[in-house]
Amino acid sequence: MRRMKIVSVMLAVFMLSCSVLAGCSSGNSSNGEASDANKPANAAAGNANQPADAAADNGAPAKDAEGSGASAGAVKLDIIETGNNLPTPDKDFIKQAIDKAIQTDLNLTVYASGDDYKNQLNVRMASGNFPDLFQVPDRAALKQFVDQGLLLDLTPYMDKLQDVKGFIGDESLKKTTMGGDVYAIPKAPNIPYNTYWIRKDWLDKLGLQPPSTIDEFLNVTKAFAEQDPDGNGKKDTIGLTGSKFSTFAPIFGAFGVGDPNTFYVKEGKLVNSLYDPAMKDALAFIKKLIDTGAVDPEIMANTGLQHQEKAIKGQAGIVWIDWPNLSKDQFTEQIKKVNPNADWIQLAPPKGPGGQYDGPFDAGGTSGMYAIPKALENDKEKLQKVFDLLNYVSGTDGSQLVQFGIKGTHFNLEGDKVVPTDLMGKEAGFTWLYQFTGRPEMAYLQTKFAPQSKYIEFANSQPRIQILNGFLSNPDGYNPADATRFIEEEFVKFIYGKNPIAGYDAFLKTLEASMNFKTYMDASTKQLEDLGYGK
Amino acid sequence: MNRRTSVPSAHDPAAQPGVLSAFGRSIWRYKAFYVMLLPGLLYYIVFKYIPMYGVIIAFKNYNLMEGIWSSPWASPWNKHFLTFFESPYFSQLLTNTFLISVYKLIFGMVPPIAMALLLNECRIKWFRSLIQTLTYMPHFLSWVIIYGILLALLSQSSGLLNRWLEDAGGTAIPFLTSTSYFRSILVGSEIWQNLGWGAIIYLAAIAGIDPTLYEAARVDGASRMRMIWHVTLPGIRTVVIMLLILNLGHILDAGFEQIYIMYNVQVYAVADILDTWVFRTGLQQLNFSLASAVGLFKAAIGLILVLGSNKLAKRWGEGIW
Amino acid sequence: MVKGTNDRVVNTVVFVILFGCGLAAVFPLLYVLSVSLTPFSEVLKNGGFILIPKSITFDAYRKLLTESNIPSAFKVTVLVTVIGTILNLVVTALMAYPLSRKQLPGRKFFLMMVVFTLLFSGGIIPTYLVVKALGLLDTIWAMILPNLVWSFNVLIMKSFYESLPEELFESARIDGAKEFRILLQIVAPLSIPVTMTIGLFYTVGHWNEFFQAIMYVTDRTLFPLQVVVREILIQTQQPLENVDNMTPGETLQMASVIMASLPIIVVYPFLQKHFTKGMLLGSVKG
Repeated sequence: MRRMKIVSVMLAVFMLSCSVLAGCSSGNSSNGEASDANKPANAAAGNANQPADAAADNGAPAKDAEGSGASAGAVKLDIIETGNNLPTPDKDFIKQAIDKAIQTDLNLTVYASGDDYKNQLNVRMASGNFPDLFQVPDRAALKQFVDQGLLLDLTPYMDKLQDVKGFIGDESLKKTTMGGDVYAIPKAPNIPYNTYWIRKDWLDKLGLQPPSTIDEFLNVTKAFAEQDPDGNGKKDTIGLTGSKFSTFAPIFGAFGVGDPNTFYVKEGKLVNSLYDPAMKDALAFIKKLIDTGAVDPEIMANTGLQHQEKAIKGQAGIVWIDWPNLSKDQFTEQIKKVNPNADWIQLAPPKGPGGQYDGPFDAGGTSGMYAIPKALENDKEKLQKVFDLLNYVSGTDGSQLVQFGIKGTHFNLEGDKVVPTDLMGKEAGFTWLYQFTGRPEMAYLQTKFAPQSKYIEFANSQPRIQILNGFLSNPDGYNPADATRFIEEEFVKFIYGKNPIAGYDAFLKTLEASMNFKTYMDASTKQLEDLGYGK
Repeated sequence: MNRRTSVPSAHDPAAQPGVLSAFGRSIWRYKAFYVMLLPGLLYYIVFKYIPMYGVIIAFKNYNLMEGIWSSPWASPWNKHFLTFFESPYFSQLLTNTFLISVYKLIFGMVPPIAMALLLNECRIKWFRSLIQTLTYMPHFLSWVIIYGILLALLSQSSGLLNRWLEDAGGTAIPFLTSTSYFRSILVGSEIWQNLGWGAIIYLAAIAGIDPTLYEAARVDGASRMRMIWHVTLPGIRTVVIMLLILNLGHILDAGFEQIYIMYNVQVYAVADILDTWVFRTGLQQLNFSLASAVGLFKAAIGLILVLGSNKLAKRWGEGIW
Repeated sequence: MVKGTNDRVVNTVVFVILFGCGLAAVFPLLYVLSVSLTPFSEVLKNGGFILIPKSITFDAYRKLLTESNIPSAFKVTVLVTVIGTILNLVVTALMAYPLSRKQLPGRKFFLMMVVFTLLFSGGIIPTYLVVKALGLLDTIWAMILPNLVWSFNVLIMKSFYESLPEELFESARIDGAKEFRILLQIVAPLSIPVTMTIGLFYTVGHWNEFFQAIMYVTDRTLFPLQVVVREILIQTQQPLENVDNMTPGETLQMASVIMASLPIIVVYPFLQKHFTKGMLLGSVKG
């Protein structure tokens, strides 16, 4: 009896689900029943073959505009990028304000993981389900998309993007130019954030001055590890920490070389740091530094914010890190709670034989670039709306909106000065997701991070080696993954004393012989010379 | 009645019993079975076999704009396979993948089986249930979290274990950056994560053993060890062999996510596997063709192993088909 | 009955080993729980490791419940898990039963077909195209149908069905029972342990699933739990320029892990009794 009951319940569920499924697929798709096994294949292949056609019925994900507050007749724009903390549309006041200002219905989707984003971007591209505006992950992706004819050439439309151009500056467009044409809009230029930070209270305790040369730097690092600066009677402190090779960025700088495998102009000539004669000296000094035993043995394994954690918990005395991760209110609070006496100050790059440079700054780097699919060419109305959007977030009102939030709610204007309200900190933490063309970096940070402004200034004003890697795209036949691995592995062997630095030239030979590095060097040199560097 | 109408009869494979060959007759005889298979087969065709045409991009220069069919063929046809075979790291990648995978195969099966046997022997009901639940929980921690825990325990500069070692007068051990410990840590953390979870399937198999067999053994005066040996283990043999065969098919999957999160440049020499290489080389540079080529290579090796081991298993009356 | 002392030794050894395993499992979990309950500065003060929180705060949990999308995502996950698991089990059982009958013509072909997909797959792009063509994008079905049947589970279930004694089917057929009835009234009740096990695999699979949601769903209101948790866990990977972003801190991360896994962990002890029941074969046979 009981069994019969279970049976009938199971059957009922199964039948119900069958009918729901059938209803679902016929309701949402013109391609017919799921049971017709051949049709999806044809449809799929068809889509792949005719992306332009498929793009015409772009709104494939049938979505309700519920709670979006968009007015009827608003143009729907699909935008995807990386990011997080985007609120749902009903709570998203930036979306609502933009929709109102330029009559759109924005549908922004953000992906927390860069890899997830790449996957999503690729399937959307492959299926002709193009977003109307999307972030291009990096230069390599830009090149690939351009080569495959996926991106709209923006050059002829530049007169329609006057506000954008004025906002980001003409020079910036170089970063997204391929073969003379502009294929994406880069964000307004950013500024460097990273410096060495050092424990002032530890220096005081040991009677030391902030180091100004690399030799002093070595001594301080050593003293921090050996002389018990935290006074707990245990030898449990680390002199220097950081993440990967960037830990030593200012040391490389002190020898006048950039980080491993970076291009820069030195004495009028284009140089790759690997071929810079000073590189060997820099490596020798770093080895000396590591030999003191005062450098975090796990710098190569530090990913994410592990080096920051070591600094905050009072284990490390010097760390190479960006100002937000050590001086934002959230972190200063933690630092004080762990040790009320802890006092972190920024350290100017120590001087060395090659000068005094903090970590390199990439002239070609951007904090993001946005492209429009070629398929949008045929949808003039939509294309115009995308331009409107880009111009709007670059203009005075729109830019203020995406930087600070709603005027009168999240900030007030006193003359030209933006004065944040309490609500800004509470509610407007996600507005950067809508900064498609970036922001005037310095003014923005000074407003949003007023207590940190001296750190921002400091990091920005340090001398840096200007590197050019952001302009490069890899040639065919060169596998950057293999080459990068080889370079990193060999460098680790040099600085940890597993291989003598005398073997450096042999390393370069192997690099050229087995990693096709010559091709890369030639192609890169040509690309940079075409842009006018080193000539 | 109800039951018959619940399935779409239009798809009944034997709807036209006109052809009365022996084959047709036998199909007609088993029509109910085919009807049962139908929803599953439909799923396999739609979601697994139709997309299968995607493997051809391994032989093409895949272009997102032109799509899978229209993308130009690679020249030579095996271009992407060559990229892979000619990488200076090819033999190292293959060795690492194979070794890590074999370790994981052994230590991914033996401890859970032992665990299941122990739990089965445990006579205290609440304790058994407690341990079963506790060991099941690590399965829900992602590798990011597990790596965080490992760091807190094993880090050379701040890990708890190394602190104890130093306090006891020893020197800190570079667990995470030394090539001599890395694989053990991979395998160890996998055992830890998988112990209780992996045991579930064997527990289910043990639960399926006919209780009369135990009774008979008890009447014969068999000890508990003998009962495990003669009743329990033979009772789960089928499942063990099946899992072994299926795992052999994945011999070149050494666990991408775990390694990707845990490795660093100092241990590449023992930790870099096919999938991490493909990720760095292929997917990060949007080279789907390369990823697909390596996938095909892995699957081909897997298929050979599955077919071979299944054949072998059949000699002992087991095997998947 | 016999060898009482020997039995006691075995019991003790079993107890000790299991206790050790339990301890090894619980130790790190306690860490996760403690961190989720402790202000992070307190954790750092302790050198980054705590097992017993000194000062407890539920801030992280409160924050997740009020400010994140976790509550709504929870509903999506439960819906997907329940509907998904029921469908999974029905279709899997319907497949496994015929495949367990050795006399079925074409059995080997179907089994090969199932095993083959464990090794070869077309990749994400063609699969996306199919999901799109079926109109499943941005529906919960996109998180259910593309993984409707796991080959692994079909094979497990099939092998359990194979182990059922042949006489059972013979006698049922003599009774004139149709195959559907044999499956539902004889086979299914006898294979409760395996059904529960596979149901658990499917349930946990749905619960932990995020990839399909990320691929096929762009509507934030349809995001399941794991996507939200993932967002919290990988925030630290954000590019530097996103200075506005509040780094969630380990306390929040661990709290999100606990919140996301607790419900599914709690389910397990209730399922356990079904694994131990054993089959009612004896009675059926007699």
